[in-house]
Order: sequence, then C-alpha cells, then structure tokens
Amino acid sequence: MSLLKAEDITVRDGATTLLSPVSLHLDPGEPLVILGETGSGKSLLAQALMGMLPEGLEAKGRVAIGDRVLNAGTPDRFRGLWGCEIGVLPQEPWLSLDPLMRAETQIAEAHRLVRGLSPRVARARAASDLSELGLAEAGSRFPHQLSGGMAQRVAIAAARAGGARIVIADEPTKGLDAARRDEVADLLLSEMGQAGGLLIITHDLSLARRIGGRLIVLRAGEVVESGTTRDIFAAPGQAYTRELFAADPESWSPRPSAAHPGPAVVSAEDLALVRGQRTLFQGVSLEIAAGQVFGVTGPSGCGKSSLGDAILGLIPPAHGRIRRQGGAHPFAFQKLYQDPVAAFPRKRRIGEALADVATMAGCAAREVDVLMEGLGLDPKLLRRRPGAVSGGELQRLSLLRVLLRKPAFIFADEPTSRLDPITQASVIRLVTGAADTDGIAVMIVSHDQALIRNTADSVLSLSEPGNEDNALRHRRRASSLT
Amino acid sequence: MSSIDFQTTRRLPLSPMRAIGTGLITLVAALSLLGPLIVPGDPLAQSLIKALAGPETGAPLGYDHLGRSVFHRLADALRLSPVIALAAVATAGAAGLILGTLSAAKGGWIDRIFVMLADALLALPGLLLVLIVLAMVPGTALGFWAGLSLVLWVEFFRLTRAATRETLASPAVQASRLLGFGPVYLFRIHIWPEIAPMMLTAAAFGTATAIMAIAALGFVHVGMRAPTPELGLMMVELLPYWREAPVALLSPVVVTFALLLGLTLLAGSRET
Repeated sequence: MSLLKAEDITVRDGATTLLSPVSLHLDPGEPLVILGETGSGKSLLAQALMGMLPEGLEAKGRVAIGDRVLNAGTPDRFRGLWGCEIGVLPQEPWLSLDPLMRAETQIAEAHRLVRGLSPRVARARAASDLSELGLAEAGSRFPHQLSGGMAQRVAIAAARAGGARIVIADEPTKGLDAARRDEVADLLLSEMGQAGGLLIITHDLSLARRIGGRLIVLRAGEVVESGTTRDIFAAPGQAYTRELFAADPESWSPRPSAAHPGPAVVSAEDLALVRGQRTLFQGVSLEIAAGQVFGVTGPSGCGKSSLGDAILGLIPPAHGRIRRQGGAHPFAFQKLYQDPVAAFPRKRRIGEALADVATMAGCAAREVDVLMEGLGLDPKLLRRRPGAVSGGELQRLSLLRVLLRKPAFIFADEPTSRLDPITQASVIRLVTGAADTDGIAVMIVSHDQALIRNTADSVLSLSEPGNEDNALRHRRRASSLT
Repeated sequence: MSSIDFQTTRRLPLSPMRAIGTGLITLVAALSLLGPLIVPGDPLAQSLIKALAGPETGAPLGYDHLGRSVFHRLADALRLSPVIALAAVATAGAAGLILGTLSAAKGGWIDRIFVMLADALLALPGLLLVLIVLAMVPGTALGFWAGLSLVLWVEFFRLTRAATRETLASPAVQASRLLGFGPVYLFRIHIWPEIAPMMLTAAAFGTATAIMAIAALGFVHVGMRAPTPELGLMMVELLPYWREAPVALLSPVVVTFALLLGLTLLAGSRET
C-alpha cells in the first residue's frame, strides 16, 4: 500500500494555472524524484502535497496519506501531519538549523515536542540518532562548527525525529560539489530504508540518477514524462527530456581543442594566495594562451575564484608573479560574475548601461545590435532593468558587455552555477565560442567537474585549503599537446 | 529565475503619509508667502492701544502684547528659520556627501581623520555647539547657519560613507572599473542612485531639527533677538498672556507643530 497517494493536484494563482493536474504515489522503499527546471512547478507540487502553499495560491485535488484522505484545497488539515507523518528537509540545511542551539538539542527538541517524549528519553534518542549517522561526537557543537555535510545530517535527523515515514527533500544538494552530492544521496536512501517514503525535488540530473526509483519530469507546470528513473534515463521518450539530459555537463561532448594555441595572454609563476591567516593555495603556475579555455575546479573555499581575481589584479598575490601579455590595452582583462544581476548598475536600464560601455570603448552603437543578434538576445531586454531579466539572459548580456571592450582575457567566475541545465549549456557554448572565434583567452571557474572536463583545454584542480599536501594536478588534455 | 516584465519603470504613487506631509508644508509655505500679499501689514509696527486685542480684518490672528499683528509676525518668522534651516541643510548635505564619498573611496588615514572628526562632533550636544558658534560669529542668522551646518553634516557624512562603502564593494562597481569607467561615472551611475533617497530623507529630518533648534534657542532667549519675529521668541513673549490672548499664543505653536510634523511625515514615511 502506498504511503502517499495524490490525485489530480492542481495549483492556481487566480486565473493562471501554475500546475496542471498531477497524480502520483509514493511507495515504501521506492524513492520518487520530481525533476524540473526553475519555474517548472516542482516546488509548488511539493508544497501542495504538504499543505504549505504560499498565501494567495490555491490548490485542488485529493491527497491520501496513510489512511487519511485530505483535500489539497484545505491546507489547515495538513498541519497535524507535519513532523509525525511528513518530514521536510529544507534547502540549505545549515541555514535552517538554529544557530544558537547545539546539534543534539535541536534533534531532542523534535523528539520531545513532536513525538511527545519526556526530556530525558528525547535526549537519549537524539544521542543515538546522532551516533547512527556517525556524528556521535558532534552533538555538543553549534551549527557554525559543523561542516556542510554534517549540518545536512543533523537536519535529516531532526526532520525524521518526529517519526515521519515520508521525507520530502527540496533541492537537498543545492550548492554542493559532486562528492558531497553523492554522499547526501546515499544518506537519504539509507535513511529511507525499506519502509520509509522519500520524495526528492531537484533539477540535478546526477542526483536523480543516483537516487533511482521513479521519476516525474515537470516542465512549466505540466508532466512531461514519468516512469522508472532507469528507463527514462536509458531512453527518454520526450524531446524535452532528451534536451534536458543533453544539457547535463556529464553528457556534453568534449570541446575540440584549438589546433594552434596562440601566444600566452597571461601567465602566473609560483603563485600563492592568502586570505586572512589562511593560505588558500601556493605554488600554482599556469599559462593561458589566446583562444584557449582554461578550467579551474575544486571544492568551495579552495580559492579558485580568488585565483581569477588575482590574475585580473583585483587582489594582490602573497607570493609569485603574474605576467600579462604586453601590447593589450589596459581594459582587455574582463570578468563574468556568478550573479549577473549584481554585476549591473541596479537602477540603470540595460540598454543605457551597454551604451555607456560602447561609448567608452569607442565602438559604434550598432555593434550592440550585432552582438545582441549573435548571442540570441531579444532587443526588448535593453529597455529593462537588471532585476527584470532572467539569469540566463543577463549572463549573456554580461558577455555582450565584456565583448564590447574587445577583451584579450575573460575570467568567468562560476558563470552558470545559478542557471538551469539547458540555459547553462547555451551560456557555456557562447563563452567558449568567444574563445574559438575571437581568440580570447578564457578562464572558467566551476565546482562542476564534468563541466570543466568537457569544456576546458587544460584543467587546474585545487584542493581543500589547509591540506598540507596541497596536491595540484595540472593536467593538460592529450589533444591539446598534439 | 523567471523574468518579470512589469518593473519599477513607473513612479511609486505618493503614500498617504507623504501626501499629508507635503500638504502641511504647502499650507505653511502658502501662509508665509501669500498671507502678507492678501492681507498687507507690517510685522514690526506697534500700536499699544491694540495690545492683546482679538482678530480683525487687518490682523487675522489678533495682536501681541505690544500691539503688533501676530499674523504678519508669524508670516515673517516662517520665512526666517526655514530659510536658515534649508541653507544649513544644503551646506551640511553637500559637505557630508563630498566628505563621505571621499572617505569611503580613499579609505586609510583620510577615512580615519574624517570619522574621528565626526565622532568628536557627535559627542558634543548639538545645541551647545550652535551656541558656541553663535557666540563667535557676528550676526545671529549667519551664526545659526554656520552652527547648524556644523552639527548636521555628521549625519549626511555617516550615511554617505556607509552606503558608498557598500556600493563600492559590489561586483557591479568592480565590473564597471574593469570596463574602464572613471570615478565620475561610478558616482553618477552606481553611488548617487543608491544614496539619493536616503539623502532626501535625511534632509527633511535635518530641516526639522534645525527649525526646532532655532525655535528652542529663541524660546530660552539665546537665539534670535527681539524685535525680530521668530517662532520660539514669539511663543515665549506671548506665554505670560495666555489667558488674555490664547489665539495669539497658539498660532506660532500650531504653525511650528504643523511644519515639523509635515517634514517628519515627508521624511519618515519611506517604505524602504
């Protein structure tokens, strides 16, 4: 018998339908993954199942949880089930833990208040939960003393402490690198066990593949495809699903390397960077040639973005030398930002901001239009302000802006980490295209190893700082050596 | 991230509080500027026979203890302290803006010197500072302007410095710098749009503070000298006659209240 069965769930905002009828069921021991881009309605579906929709949105449909049948239109009735029947694992758990409470106390609180155990028993249960998760010694630590992965495990323990058999995880791997992502997937699977239910909402294809079970692909509030995860990944039935899978960096075909790399545009020798008291890395040497794509990858906090900033001259290196190609004009070194919204003047229309750059760089205003067309951008966007343009379009506009400056080198700092897979693929294609056609040296920084592997001509992997053996693997793809 | 087509291209409608504030200030301004045109009269002309007499056509608010028209004195007073206050706020705003931007942009010892100076001034009571300057500068109006400017610039300086520092550290400014834009562009496009609304709020509050300071010092007989019509001075002169001429006493009180309330509503009702 299903743990959770939902029939014809719809979500509407006044007259607009945000989610067309969706039916699903969740069986013990078989995870269900809801896959979709931002704006596909996947989070709305989960919120409707829990009766947690934001004010103003209206849900319809029947939800059967255990032996109770509820109407999705009356969310108040769901409240009694939270914690006891349905546990929610929030996004970015380190932000959802109480920063002033020790790990064990947070879990004990759920045992005591949700399940109604006595304080002493609750405390004992919390301690045993923690030791089951391999966190026995972390019980007395505060959230800021926990690593991201440990915080995630504490949040899982707290979410399940009320005795909930169903766990709903909304983007549980947001902002995690590949190794940690697999760790979280395995942890969620083992927590589910044979009798629990697990519903995962994600846009991360690798996570979906790792979780397995059954899969529902959502797009713009409609179910595109559903079935077992293995079957869909093996043979996607719909064009959209194929497009989505093709956009996954794992399945990109490696970019062919430039046949004749040009002269070095920038080079660094024996570089070391220090932030505060901490050495981020040392002994890094690199050389980026015109038309070459240089990838930098590594875990968060390893100094990969700082390396780019140092090359641009924005931060001084603690040691070592950076040489820029002679002859390039002083503004030939440009940067693409992780959050393009923050990289444009907030209150200026994009068209005006771009015109400023065009005037500054001394190029004809027509050039903006030519580039707009080349980058597949709608001229209407020029009349908007940065906050009113989607991330993918704005990142392309950022690229346009730096191209107006005729750069010799572009440092792309996690340029697509906030974009959907399909948008990500197109933005990366445009950035590497600039290297191929205009002979610009490009340095891409990303935590996504697959992305770097399949786009860069050579790769620099930085390791966790503080690691005594700061092993730097500076690997050159065989093709670029020939 | 989905795109939103409607954006803040249109101006936000005036909030009701702001509308009330603007209305009050307009009313007071109309009284001071148009009043004497409609009912001509001399604020300094005495007529002891009419001392403390009630309202009549030539003096809509009655007469004070020396038989001067309260209406005309009030209209005159309302041109004096607000003008001093506006001049002081303009000077203080400009000084605060320039020093604050400089401080945030240069950092280092320039920043430290200005911050220390501002902190030192903050440690002194504002009214005391105005009094000291009044004692040194010849001419009461000039003294008020100089003293109030000295007190008020600190607020503008601190606001500008804080907001500018934050803006200068943003990726948007870094990007503009990499693209080759100079300090003038950075100020015009990045910094000014961020601090302008704050500056206007601070200016409205500052004007209210200055008007209040002038009235308070007048009230304790250390500000404007008689026979100059001034709001605080008028109140204290008429205070002994509150029983005989309540309208004459209440009119400067009500008008001052309306003016300060108007300025405060205008400044304080910003939602952001």
